[in-house]
Amino acid sequence: MFPSNQTFTRALQQKGINRRRFIKFCTAMTATLALPPRYVAQVAAALEKARKPVLVWLQFQDCAGNSESILRSSHPSVLEVVLDLFSWEYHELVMAGAGHQAEAALERVVREEKGKFLAVVEGAVPLADDGVYCTVGGRTALDIARHVCPNAAATIAAGACAWDGGLVRAHPNPTGAVGISEAVPEANVINLGGCPQNPANTAAVLVHYLTFGQLPAMDQYHRPLFAYGRIIHDQCERRAHYDAGRFVQEWGDEGHRKGWCLYKMGCKGPEATFNCPSVRWNDGTSWPVKAGHGCLACASHRFWDVRSPFYERLPQVPGFGADVTAGEIGMGVTAAVAGATIVHGIASAIRDRMRTQPEAVPPQASNQPPKA
Amino acid sequence: MTELTKHGWGEAHRPEPAFPPLRVYVWEQPVRVSHWFIFLAVVVLSFTGYYIHNPFIVAKSSTPFLMATIRFIHVVTGFVFISAFLLRIYWFFKGNEWSNWRAFVPVHRRQWRGMGRMVAYYSFLRKDLVHQVGHNALAAVTYLVMFTLMFVEIITGLTLYTQVRGGWLLAPLFSWLPRVIDIQYIRLTHFCIMFAFFAFVIHHVYSAVLVSWEERNGLIESIFTGYKFVPRDELAEDSARREAD
Repeated sequence: MFPSNQTFTRALQQKGINRRRFIKFCTAMTATLALPPRYVAQVAAALEKARKPVLVWLQFQDCAGNSESILRSSHPSVLEVVLDLFSWEYHELVMAGAGHQAEAALERVVREEKGKFLAVVEGAVPLADDGVYCTVGGRTALDIARHVCPNAAATIAAGACAWDGGLVRAHPNPTGAVGISEAVPEANVINLGGCPQNPANTAAVLVHYLTFGQLPAMDQYHRPLFAYGRIIHDQCERRAHYDAGRFVQEWGDEGHRKGWCLYKMGCKGPEATFNCPSVRWNDGTSWPVKAGHGCLACASHRFWDVRSPFYERLPQVPGFGADVTAGEIGMGVTAAVAGATIVHGIASAIRDRMRTQPEAVPPQASNQPPKA
Repeated sequence: MTELTKHGWGEAHRPEPAFPPLRVYVWEQPVRVSHWFIFLAVVVLSFTGYYIHNPFIVAKSSTPFLMATIRFIHVVTGFVFISAFLLRIYWFFKGNEWSNWRAFVPVHRRQWRGMGRMVAYYSFLRKDLVHQVGHNALAAVTYLVMFTLMFVEIITGLTLYTQVRGGWLLAPLFSWLPRVIDIQYIRLTHFCIMFAFFAFVIHHVYSAVLVSWEERNGLIESIFTGYKFVPRDELAEDSARREAD
């Protein structure tokens, strides 16, 4: 870490990161942001001039998976570059300070850097029973979020839990958990859904903020369009198998070994938007579908509830058991109607036979020609 | 017994009409055209749609482009279905008294009473059918429900289509819907209504055969030719009832 009055270039030089590596990072970020290549120079220039903005990372009802995700990436050292781009004043998982000392650091940032610092939130905020289900240093998550987030220049909701409540909010949601933008509506939030969020996207948002001084273009859920603007199915490397009708029928069968489409295994790629197929994970090594498992749509809104069952195509029909699919119910209804029709047909034939001939009413009486 | 041998099985109770019934043009051409296009489209859409839900034919490496072809057929047939539906909607306002929207919406007490009679007939509480020139009241309400389901199917289908391709027209019209109802529930609805169509087709064919047999007025043929054979007094009754409303 370098002192906050030092420029970024000198800090990188001191750490032994050469120019070539730095430009590679800028290129990767420009590509992730879906910007044309000519912006590489602009990104590099902006980062070189950037004075370290302060960043605090709050953890509420979380598994630290999003912290792990960003810390474990070694891509042109997202760790080195992004960690060094910002002055990380508070992050429970990695900070050296503890106890009152750490809390005082957070307090100082909110007081002295008001409106200038960035907040990253990881994890959901419980609202039930006055928020007692998550407390840090004796204060509830809701209290901390209300104190920190509105004072930040922008709040980045990292991961599904911080965005929409994620796993914590999944039915039946005993703690009344919600995402950060619901808990603190007045905060300027950008949501990075995903379980976990992709560190490349987090870094890209930070780089965009440093380069252009504002957050990237967002969709209706306040997610950056560069990452969440396209359906996974349309970018998938197994798409050709889908179009050709080659599907994995069960795990480990011939099609699975040959890398065919996972549609029949409940892959939610057609129902999810994310840049997983292009950015990938672990330094661009792989992503779930490439590794042979269907997409869970972890970057979709409230995916635990609305994208499950993860190994079926369609959600459960409300009011039926977990192991009954919509197709089975439909076939059952159709068969029942067909059966009832046969029974009714037999009964109607019997009724017809049991009819007696109408008595003495002369047939003409009902069929008189109208009088002119 | 002699009657039975003369008229065939089950026709003993039906007296021979003294005057030949009138040949009435009931179902005009747009009604028949939209009926058959909707039917054919539903058959094709159900097959392709079920395949898209559950690809039961898995291609070998030599079979090219199966899912893409099926999806293409589904989309094209979907637009044929929409066209036929729109034609029928147009004819709700231009058509004769039997295909007009007034025949379908149960606003008169006569229609509710007619529904009761039909329910009684179907549940064997009533021996004989009340003869109708157009739709009976129960059938009319069933068709109204089916038109509504078709409309829901069109809306959900176009919404799903905007996930693939929007353009200047469909995207602004339908892309707001997945923000209100999750796309998975739109898919579920689109899928489940197919089974309502299956159940309807079974019942529709059965009841048409049953009523045709009871009324002996050429009901089955009428959806091909448009003509029904109606006794004079029934026709007079039918128009008198409509004037009374």
